[in-house]
Amino acid sequence: MIILSAKKPQGGKIAGKEFDSRLFVGTGKFASNALMARAIAASGSQMVTVALRRVDIENENDDMLAAIDQTKYQLLPNTSGARDANEAVRLSRLARAASGIAWVKLEVTPDPYYLLPDGQETLKAAEILVKDGFIVLPYINADPILAKKLQDIGCVTVMPLASPIGSNQGIKTKASIEIIIEQATVPVVVDAGLGAPSHAVEAMEMGADAVLVNTAIAAASDPAQMAKAFKMATEAGRIAYETGLAPRSNTANASSPLTGFLRN
Amino acid sequence: MNATLKINGTEKTFDQGLPSTLTELLAQLEINAATVVAEINGDIVERKNFAQTELKDQMAIELIRFVGGG
Repeated sequence: MIILSAKKPQGGKIAGKEFDSRLFVGTGKFASNALMARAIAASGSQMVTVALRRVDIENENDDMLAAIDQTKYQLLPNTSGARDANEAVRLSRLARAASGIAWVKLEVTPDPYYLLPDGQETLKAAEILVKDGFIVLPYINADPILAKKLQDIGCVTVMPLASPIGSNQGIKTKASIEIIIEQATVPVVVDAGLGAPSHAVEAMEMGADAVLVNTAIAAASDPAQMAKAFKMATEAGRIAYETGLAPRSNTANASSPLTGFLRN
Repeated sequence: MNATLKINGTEKTFDQGLPSTLTELLAQLEINAATVVAEINGDIVERKNFAQTELKDQMAIELIRFVGGG
């Protein structure tokens, strides 16, 4: 059961769990675990994505999970690297065995150049994972029909991309995301390509329920400061959406009174 | 007796015989078992079963852990 609190600028619920923040953050590309931990804290986020990879048996591996306090943050393992549904299901099950967590950010990206998600394989994997008891948050192209199918089979959010992962291009799929937001009965999380706080504001003003940001924070010269900027942007955009923007027009509408000027 | 395991896609030969369990293998490799999940011949091994999981020649073992990701 998904309940979204429309009145709360900071948070909402996903899969019955309440979140105080509408900003989700990724943990990739940070120069160190300490920088990552500081950035996560500054972001105010309570949803943190992680990936699974082979242990490097020749070199020492540091445990990045030790830097994430799981009493404060919902861990969201992703299936990055999966090229088809079978690999994504396998990674999801490994993540569940590793963490005891059945939440999964489902991503199936056969082409490493643009890392665009394969909708058909994503839907196939989602069906298997939902039946297997997973809480599935699928990363998708901004495809309203696919979003509806995923919602109908029991995914707890849909996560349309703004632009390719890590590209920092901002929202290139605006018209389609607007349709997804209009039709969705589950939270819509705009994921991938948000490169500046202004992009996060834009997504939230459009009515997105949350945004997911990684590269723009991790690759900034001061990740904690940039995380704070994204936190403020996400909250500002949400407040603006809930308040409702003033109408646009093609001509000027004077903000100062036009009467009582010195001329007459 | 020589025995071989395929660990994360790479063949590793053990001249002094195989470590008897998954827990012993991780100890030999100096990997903290608490941060790892394993697959043997494609089947997931839960962490609580590492100590009872016996290793045999030619097994394919995947050792996986969490890393940063978006």
